Amino acid sequence: MIERCLIFLLFLTGFHAIIVRKNVIKKVFGLGIINSAVVILFILEGSRSGNSAPIIQPGVQDVVDPIPQALMLTAVVIGVCLTALALTLVYRLYTHSLSLHIDEIRRKIHDTTH
Amino acid sequence: MKKNKTDITKRKWFQITPGVVSEILPLLCVSAVLVPVFAISLPWPDQTKKYLFSSAILETGAQNLVSSLYLGYRAFDTLGETVVLLTAVTGAIMIIKSSVHTNNSYTFSQQNVPSKTRMLRTELLDTVTGKLGPVVLLFGFYVMLFGHLSPGGGFQGGVVIASAIVFLSLGSKSDGALVLTKPGVLLWIEAASFGAFLIAACAGMITGNGFFTNPFPSGFPAHAYIIFLNCAVGLKVGAGVSFLCIEMIQNKE
Repeated sequence: MIERCLIFLLFLTGFHAIIVRKNVIKKVFGLGIINSAVVILFILEGSRSGNSAPIIQPGVQDVVDPIPQALMLTAVVIGVCLTALALTLVYRLYTHSLSLHIDEIRRKIHDTTH
Repeated sequence: MKKNKTDITKRKWFQITPGVVSEILPLLCVSAVLVPVFAISLPWPDQTKKYLFSSAILETGAQNLVSSLYLGYRAFDTLGETVVLLTAVTGAIMIIKSSVHTNNSYTFSQQNVPSKTRMLRTELLDTVTGKLGPVVLLFGFYVMLFGHLSPGGGFQGGVVIASAIVFLSLGSKSDGALVLTKPGVLLWIEAASFGAFLIAACAGMITGNGFFTNPFPSGFPAHAYIIFLNCAVGLKVGAGVSFLCIEMIQNKE
């Protein structure tokens, strides 16, 4: 149970970073932390059904379920793509407004459009 | 700045302000929704695990069950995943390149400020990354090529290869001294490996089977197809991620 609580705290940390932090880069970090929390939760769920790594060798009987691991491989790659794209968008915002503070960026964009 | 500081010290930590409420309320709402998801543990269904354990080697040839899943049973999903990676790299590069040419943008070169990456490159970093790069590259190829036998596979090996290429590009004294760290070369590697992946996907159709079936004749070892797909995916991921990183590093130089 303690590991589930820790993963949930990790998730809340990422969510807190997204909604409360004003720095845009920290919001992107929050997305990454949430992604990690979900990945760890899936790996934990899959690991309940066995003890050894899902590699078939002579003498190995009690393997964990490989399906969550294969799914999370996808999630990790998508997470990397998401982070890269989000950081380039942050870079674009920075070149336009010279700030990473979200309120400052909004004010600059409002000034240039009106 | 000073005013902010005094504000923070004056504010007691338990004082309820609209700001604090707006910070805590969403967290509580999310907790109410997600606590059941995290807390409930149902018995894990293991029919598929038993099936994979008994027949994955016969059907795909890979001892690593994760490899046999994502390159054997769910190879179509892997194709989609590589397309997502390609799209992300393309979009990121497009955003970087187009933001360079906007008129009101701020660039380091206009202001005659030394580039940040230049300043961060010390002698220590040059030496360590230059020496470490080839070793990491070798390890990446090991992880990629032995993905059907040991923990690892195309994606993991590809990311290790990408970090090795980034190491090499940081460690080379003059930019682009190595062929492998030139963006154009990486672009071609990515395109060629994606083409190889598509050809491997369609090769089963020539022999009258479906998409993503093993095209090799029965005399071949069964895991040859998995190794080929692992190499294609690994090179594609390695080239794509390192291309992205090198473009981001060298953008302002």
